[in-house]
Amino acid sequence: MSGWLEHLVFGILATVSVLSSFLVVTRKNPIYSALFLVVMFAMVAGIFMLLDATFLGFMQLLVYAGAIMVLYLFVIMLINPRDETLPDEGGTSEKAFAAGVSLLVFALLTFGISNSDLVTEMTTPGGIPALAEVPATHGAIEAFGYELFSKHLLVFEVASILILVGIIGAVHIAMKQKPASADEEDSNEERLVTDV
Amino acid sequence: MFSLPALLYLSALLFSIGIYGVLARRNILVVLMSLELMLNAVNIALVGFGRVHALSTTSGEHGGQIFTLMVLAVAAAEAAIGLSLLLLIWRRWKTIDLRELCRLSG
Repeated sequence: MSGWLEHLVFGILATVSVLSSFLVVTRKNPIYSALFLVVMFAMVAGIFMLLDATFLGFMQLLVYAGAIMVLYLFVIMLINPRDETLPDEGGTSEKAFAAGVSLLVFALLTFGISNSDLVTEMTTPGGIPALAEVPATHGAIEAFGYELFSKHLLVFEVASILILVGIIGAVHIAMKQKPASADEEDSNEERLVTDV
Repeated sequence: MFSLPALLYLSALLFSIGIYGVLARRNILVVLMSLELMLNAVNIALVGFGRVHALSTTSGEHGGQIFTLMVLAVAAAEAAIGLSLLLLIWRRWKTIDLRELCRLSG
C-alpha cells in the first residue's frame, strides 16, 4: 500500500475507533454500547492488519467481534433490562471525577510517550516503514505459527489452561443452583429434601 | 502521522476512555465492556511495538503479536467469568447496578 493511502486508512480507523469507544461509554442502553463495541473491535482489527499482523486481525474479528460480543448480547437479551431497571447513572460530580481521572491518566501517558527515549530511538524517520522493509517472514501466518509452537510453546499451553479454567469456572458459576445458604450442611439438607 | 507515537497516542486515548467508562458507569455490563476496551488499547500498543521491533532484527520475530494473542485469551476468559458472575448477581438480586451492590452485602 502506498504511503499516503496507509496514512489515510489509519486516520479513518483511528477516528472511528475513538468515536465509537466514546459512544460505548456514554450510551445508556447496553445494547447500543455492545453494538458500538463491535465497530470499535472491527476498527482495531483493521489497525492490526495495517501493522502486518494479519493473523491477529482475523483473530480479533473472530474472538472479540464474534465470540465475546455474542456472549455479551446473549447476556443482555437474557437479563433483558428495561428502561426502568437500568441503573440511573451518576450525577455530574461523579462524571466529572471520572473524566478528571481519565484525563490525568491520558496526560501522564502522553507525557511519557513524548519524552520517552525508547520511543524516539525506535521511531525511524519515515514512521513505521512499509511491508517490504521488514523481513519477509514477519506477519506471515506460517512463520507466526512456527514461532508460537516452538519458541513460545509454554505460553500457548498456559493460555489453553487459562481458557479451560475460564470455561469450567463460567459453567460452574452460571449453573442453576439451589438457594445457596451460608453453611454447607444446610445446603446439603436442602438438596436432600428437594431430591426426595 | 502513521508512526509509532501516533499508535501509542491512539492507545493511550482509548485506554483513558476505558478508564472513564469503568469509573463513571454504574451498569456492570458497560463496566465490563470498558475493560475490554482497555485491553484492546494495550493490544494496539503491543502490536505497534512488535512491528517496530521486527525492523531491528533480521529474523522477523513475533514477540509482540504472541503477547497480544495471550492478552486475547485472557480477555476471553475474563469475559466468560465476568458475565457468568453478572448472571448470578442478576438472578439473586435482580439488579445490574453497581451502586446497589455496595449496599447489599452478604
